[in-house]
Amino acid sequence: MNDTDRLRAALRASEPEGRGRFDVDTIMREGRRRRHRRRAVRGAVVVLSVAVVAAGVLAVLRRPVSIDPAAVPAPQVTVTVGTPTAGPPASAEPTATEPPGKPPIGEVVATGLRYGADEMVFYFVPVSVPGAPEVTIGLVAGRRTPDGELVAEYLANDVEGSDRRPGFHQIGYEPSTEPLPADPVPTFGYFVGPAVRIVGRVGKVSVPAKLARWSEDPDVVIFWFPPQSLSPGQRLDGILAWDAQDRRL
Amino acid sequence: MARGDAEFVEFVHAASGRLAHAAYLMTGDHHQAEDATQTALVRTYASWSRVRRDDPYAYTRRVLVNHIVDNWRRPIREYPTDELPQQRRGDVADEVTARRWLQAALGTLTARERAIVVLRYLFDLPEAQVARELDVSLGTVKSTSSRALEKLRQALGEQPRPPGGRVASTPGGR
Repeated sequence: MNDTDRLRAALRASEPEGRGRFDVDTIMREGRRRRHRRRAVRGAVVVLSVAVVAAGVLAVLRRPVSIDPAAVPAPQVTVTVGTPTAGPPASAEPTATEPPGKPPIGEVVATGLRYGADEMVFYFVPVSVPGAPEVTIGLVAGRRTPDGELVAEYLANDVEGSDRRPGFHQIGYEPSTEPLPADPVPTFGYFVGPAVRIVGRVGKVSVPAKLARWSEDPDVVIFWFPPQSLSPGQRLDGILAWDAQDRRL
Repeated sequence: MARGDAEFVEFVHAASGRLAHAAYLMTGDHHQAEDATQTALVRTYASWSRVRRDDPYAYTRRVLVNHIVDNWRRPIREYPTDELPQQRRGDVADEVTARRWLQAALGTLTARERAIVVLRYLFDLPEAQVARELDVSLGTVKSTSSRALEKLRQALGEQPRPPGGRVASTPGGR
């Protein structure tokens, strides 16, 4: 037995026998709370993320671009997914329902990104945001299982103004404070306007996004950054869009 | 109970023992270890629909280790003479001595060194995977592992009776 074998033996010698002594019900209850909280916070995080992106773009270019900072909503979020009636008043403590189980509006966008047998997809769902009657859709990043079931992972939607305002809307990120899961959601969002090219920037590195037009409104361009080119959770310093004539939007 | 929930319950029963033991080796404190393990399991359940199809054990282990390293507080050195092993293996006195020695030796390591030792020698992970799980370079794993083993060797030299009653002469390699 060499030294590392002895170390292995020592590490295992005091390992308790038998099953764990954890209260699974408590763990699952806390896990559900965390899941709900995370989804709610993600809504708030994307709001703040747009503010950061806007500030980054403005700092670099010194003139307004496609993100209007005045249109960036305050980080007070109450998101009620798929509920036509008004929800509770907006508050600084976000609340959210379970991810949307509603049927998607329009076609589901396939990304070609596979996580085992599932495929990462994007689709819009109806949302209702108190105090924001012009916000009626939210973009879901989810998975499509082999039997065609859609599993929502992440919802990004505006919380003020109009969901069809020209320019960039909420950008969805994986939380940077948690270890990434094995199938991280790529950074994603949508742009309203005739964009044919969208490029994000991290430091001095430019990262092109994949684009797909929404079947229900050709002005709405869904974009995402493949994990191979932009690590999920990595915050963008800027993001720009160009039209078919290569004019910046 | 939904199928996913039933799978999670099974997963907790199967995996929590070793995860808690790993947490104890990294913290040196039973209460901290249980808290950390429960936190990791809660986070795993929160992402269960996503991780269950891949490798939930690896995911939970990664959450656990990084949680402990990130929340590192130098542990209280615990000599659990009042907590005998649940299943008797050999002489109890030797067992207690071995546990004392191990905790004393691990107590000389930093959080990252402990994490690397546990991932390498309890979970038997290759260095490259340790690097991925801790999000550090392979070189960092190699150098930290080497440093940790040297510290363990020194700690061992100060202890007359390591596990098995034999004194190892060198830290050894991999």
